[in-house]
Amino acid sequence: MPAAVEFAQVTRHFGNVRAVDGVDLTIAEGSFFAMLGPSGSGKTTCLRLISGFESPTTGTIRIFGEDVSTTPPHLRNVNTVFQDYALFPHMNVRDNVAYGLMVKGIGKTQRHEKAEEMLSLVKLSGYGDRKPGQLSGGQRQRVALARALVNEPRVLLLDEPLGALDLKLREAMQDELKALQQRLGITFVFVTHDQHEALSMADSLAVFNEGKIAQIGTPEAVYNRPATRFVADFVGSSNVLPPALTRALGGPDEWASLRPEVTRLAATGPVTATVTALRYLGSGTRVVLDMGGTELAAIVPAGQPLPEPGTQTAIAFDPAALHIMAGA
Amino acid sequence: MLSDRASLSLRIAAGLGLLFLHLPIALIFLYAFTTEERSYAFPPPGLTTKWFAVAWQRPDIWEAFWLSLQVAAIATALALVLGTLVSAAMSKARFFGREQISLLILLPIALPGVITGIALRTAFGEMGIPFSTLTIILGHATFCIVIVYNNAVARFRRLSGGILEASADLGANAFQTFRHVLLPNLGTALLAGGMLAFALSFDEVIVTTFTAGQQSTIPIWMLEELIRPRQRPVTNVVAMLVFAATFIPILLAYYLTRNGSDVAGSGK
Repeated sequence: MPAAVEFAQVTRHFGNVRAVDGVDLTIAEGSFFAMLGPSGSGKTTCLRLISGFESPTTGTIRIFGEDVSTTPPHLRNVNTVFQDYALFPHMNVRDNVAYGLMVKGIGKTQRHEKAEEMLSLVKLSGYGDRKPGQLSGGQRQRVALARALVNEPRVLLLDEPLGALDLKLREAMQDELKALQQRLGITFVFVTHDQHEALSMADSLAVFNEGKIAQIGTPEAVYNRPATRFVADFVGSSNVLPPALTRALGGPDEWASLRPEVTRLAATGPVTATVTALRYLGSGTRVVLDMGGTELAAIVPAGQPLPEPGTQTAIAFDPAALHIMAGA
Repeated sequence: MLSDRASLSLRIAAGLGLLFLHLPIALIFLYAFTTEERSYAFPPPGLTTKWFAVAWQRPDIWEAFWLSLQVAAIATALALVLGTLVSAAMSKARFFGREQISLLILLPIALPGVITGIALRTAFGEMGIPFSTLTIILGHATFCIVIVYNNAVARFRRLSGGILEASADLGANAFQTFRHVLLPNLGTALLAGGMLAFALSFDEVIVTTFTAGQQSTIPIWMLEELIRPRQRPVTNVVAMLVFAATFIPILLAYYLTRNGSDVAGSGK
């Protein structure tokens, strides 16, 4: 069975800027796939390459095995939930949702019926007559979702759909999106710069950096075994150890990563560090250390004694938790 | 702190200001009904509606009226097409010199009519284009385009750019996107711009003077008519007509764009 989306050596240049640079990517059908990266890393351009608003400079894009590299957006069986929702301001919610069916020439009664069905799917039954301007941010987000789903796309693209929502609503929507994806069984491709969002929702994710994919894998693999220094730093806010420090701490002469939550403070150890700052997180405190010029962090769980800034300390950790990054 | 009731002196000043602005217009209306045809004596010796009948039967008025209507309609239509296209290009594309071009588009409305008039007259003369209805239309189109452009570009700015992409994403072709998304959102802005352009063209004097041949538009006809001593109130009757033909579109345009934010910007 062909993959839902497949990139083969896809490149997209804007003038001299290589927004997407030789990307190979396979997204399995029915999966929840996240594209994670800082702004300007090429993740949004990749999404637009799938939706058809960008076309590759070189390389091939396949959707369910069909080469769509030159297919315009309106002929692709993918739909997008846009970052700013992009609802049609002059139409009511029902007509917004039914738009995809209207342009296909489906009759009014039939498309309104289907629109209502979609609205109840996103828990907005009874809102059909309102204008987008009369809805809250969260409700607009649901309308955008219903509108994108009405055409029954085989791939749904979501461009930072939760970015404009406040924290509580964002967490609720994360659960809801995940449940919706499992219920519908269609492929979701999700762009975000929020590593927590990507880790908690995705079945697998690609971490983008400077137009290239730094790592693809399950959230667990990416978090626990980052392939590069960039991934370790961006995804886990992990401690990145240069080869000399790794060796001093008992590892091989390689770059390594060590997660703050497995790093403990100890009275003695091979290398000492200076406490430079404390940051209270609620569930614990992040202790920032300076270890011979390398910044490290350790999480001290709530209730345990905290060191004073400026004092010396050593660190301890389970040797198995030290992840060697051969590709760094 | 502002008091609820304005002071007496302030109210008198406001009243005088309004009187200064609007009394001349009221007088124009009044003298359309006077029985004295040679001079505007105050108070009018008597009131009559016969000048409306006289105006109705004068072929020179009809001729000027039809010419004005023709010029305003064609100049507006031209401006609607070109102004919309320019505003679409300016709001979609980012390129070197964009700000300068934007200034160049707005310049015709800022330039004194005399300059535009002389420039056009010289240009038409150089190119050997005879002064005719066509040259008047082209002259008017220069400032009509600006009006339409200004209205359309403001609306484009408020439109969330994503809605055109959203339409394509949902399967609409370019025509369907234009018909179902772009036009409804631009519609009132274009209508307002078009009506303002029409009103401006209808009573334009300066550029018309420079670009017209022998024919007279309504304002030019009025200017010529004022010099003649006979049937003066007819000019006032025509002035009322011009007033209606320009004021009503401007008023409608105002009401159309006043609540424009509800129409176009609410998706953001």
